Amino acid sequence: MFRFGIIVCAAFLLYPFFLPDDFYGRMAAEVLLAAIGASAWNILGGYAGQISVGHAVFFGIGAYAPLLIFTKFGLPPIVGVPVGILVSTAVTVVIGLPTFRLTGHYFSMATIAVAELIRLVISNWDYVGAATGLMGPAVARTWLDLSFRSPIPYYYIFLAVLACLLLLTWHLQRSRMGYYWRAIRAGERPARSLGVPVVRYKLYALLLSAGFTSVAGSLYSLMVGFIDPESGFGILKSVELIIIAALGGAGSLFGPLVGAMILVPLQTMTNSLYGGGGSGLTYIIYGGIIVLLARYEPGGLLDLWHRMMSRRAHRADVAAAKPHAS
Amino acid sequence: MKNLVGVGVVTVAMALSGGAIAQQNVKVGGLFPLSGNAASAGQQAKAAVELAVDIVNGKYPDVTGMPAVGLPGLKGGKIELTFADHQGNPSTGQSQALRLIQQEKVSALIGAYQSSVTFAGTQVAERYGTPWVVGDSVASNITGRGFKFTFRVTPIASDFAYNYMDFLNDVKKMGHPVKTVATVYENTDYGTSIAETLRKAIKEKGFDLIAEIPYAANTTDVSPQVLQLKDKKPDAVIFVSYTSDTILYMKTLKQLDYKPPIVIGDDSGFSDPAFIKNVGTISQGAVNRSAWDIGKPGSVTAKINELFKAKTGYDMDDTSGRNMQAMFVLADAINRAGSAKSDAIQAALQKTDLKPEQLMMGYKGVKFDETGQNTLAATYLIQLQGANYVAVWPEKSATAKMQIPFKGSE
Repeated sequence: MFRFGIIVCAAFLLYPFFLPDDFYGRMAAEVLLAAIGASAWNILGGYAGQISVGHAVFFGIGAYAPLLIFTKFGLPPIVGVPVGILVSTAVTVVIGLPTFRLTGHYFSMATIAVAELIRLVISNWDYVGAATGLMGPAVARTWLDLSFRSPIPYYYIFLAVLACLLLLTWHLQRSRMGYYWRAIRAGERPARSLGVPVVRYKLYALLLSAGFTSVAGSLYSLMVGFIDPESGFGILKSVELIIIAALGGAGSLFGPLVGAMILVPLQTMTNSLYGGGGSGLTYIIYGGIIVLLARYEPGGLLDLWHRMMSRRAHRADVAAAKPHAS
Repeated sequence: MKNLVGVGVVTVAMALSGGAIAQQNVKVGGLFPLSGNAASAGQQAKAAVELAVDIVNGKYPDVTGMPAVGLPGLKGGKIELTFADHQGNPSTGQSQALRLIQQEKVSALIGAYQSSVTFAGTQVAERYGTPWVVGDSVASNITGRGFKFTFRVTPIASDFAYNYMDFLNDVKKMGHPVKTVATVYENTDYGTSIAETLRKAIKEKGFDLIAEIPYAANTTDVSPQVLQLKDKKPDAVIFVSYTSDTILYMKTLKQLDYKPPIVIGDDSGFSDPAFIKNVGTISQGAVNRSAWDIGKPGSVTAKINELFKAKTGYDMDDTSGRNMQAMFVLADAINRAGSAKSDAIQAALQKTDLKPEQLMMGYKGVKFDETGQNTLAATYLIQLQGANYVAVWPEKSATAKMQIPFKGSE
């Protein structure tokens, strides 16, 4: 297992050296970016079991902050990253406390409502560019603007952020916090009856989740150099985070990464299939995945993989045990 | 004798095709929203661009007058098209632009309908030195960023806004009092940006802006907005609306029995074929902008429209027309460059100088300034009279007499 881990890490680190052209670098960067967003969602939605359909709020705040800092003050956009995190966490407390009184579907519905509300406010607020959105530096003034011609620097930045996020998640899932989260996911009332401070730990999960989703948003706008209400706060953004996490396996460490590695290239391919004539295939595939996952594999692909592996291991055990018994 | 002719034809054909193989084809990438909520506009634009390429490649020899037909500069080479769907998403637009540049090895790009996608996508094209010809995105900030590879053929929001003001001044000269103006606009990107430009133009040209009414395009009731108009009684109302809301406004005007003296619609909803079909009979006299005019039967534009209708089942509209025109401009530059090299095409684009008679749209010509904006872009104003729009302004392009005031139903 350890050796397998080393190989995977090496593959991620060395991947850019084997690229035929920048397009694959860009796609890989997009995979990592999607994995960061989905892994951030996974902390709240996967581990703590609170299905938020409004995470675009944090993504959007994170995406707007760097470009707002750039447009209004002429500072390098990267200065906006911590600002985005701060605003996101502040928003978290304001909307987290009331919505956490709701559970299950009601919580999900409340998060949609909040996200749509904020999208409408942003769309009509002139200071943040209203419906037209904000743009980054067209040409980098210094390297601090993080506006690179090649996608490779973005790839490594995203890889570093994803590694930090996964390490932190790995650490937390083995700590007391992780056990509390899983207890809350399994049932809030029993968890509370056993002494888990439910609201506080849900809020911790939301804070972490929101902070990292905001970072994902910032990285997005640093790379794309443009943000508008639809691509920052649109409901499709929230849905995308969920589908990626759910496909790979919500509540598992590498689930979101696996999901991103499948969905992002799939989307890029369908956009160019039949010379662009594969109209709407992405959405059809999204819909199909939701239906299939909900019906057959609510645990996601990693879960399926683990089951297959353990079944094979079991069979091997039985086979190994047989001659001994006879 | 017959045999001899046959042999001759075959030999000539072989010679021609032999030449064509030796010649290099030039690949052009099209980026349009082929799925998502602007899919129908994107598909139409794609069809229009394809038709333009068929024409310059010499498939329809009876369409004459367009520049670069037959592509003599490429010495038998042809233009090839490849498309990508960006779904209206700026990030997807960037990665698809990159794919077209690097994988499909396109020499130039065209697109991309939504201003947001054009804005983000041209950044990638600039970094890789691939010329991008913008057919229809009107947001003013697309040009003026110091880019060398972005060229925009279409008139932009400020051009339209001043055209409307000139039109209102002409109406005033005809003896109709025009002093107060109201704008009604949908509250996303498109509506708000045009409304902002209008605000500036209205004030600058000395009219009174007495009401600005934003609304959500997916609304199901616009009577509050119409009542607000009825209360203020402006001399002219400018609508910046999509299709379903335009239809709703016309129905509501009728229901509440209110007729503003002048109704101007800013393209989009007023140009959608569904507008005339659904509310044409109660919208008589509505004024709309369009740089596209079908023209007299037998004219080049009428022939282009026929071909377009045969291909898609629809009459050519302003948006598709502007994209098709952009493709002609690009084809002209490729022909003059005589090469598939992006740099050569960019240099040729900078030297573009097309005259009005070489265009299918009603621009005064095509000539780019140093920011890449076409300085000769212009638009007609058309008016709904009977079952069709007719060109009424400016006077020299008019095919029918302007009817003031707005009649509503006959």
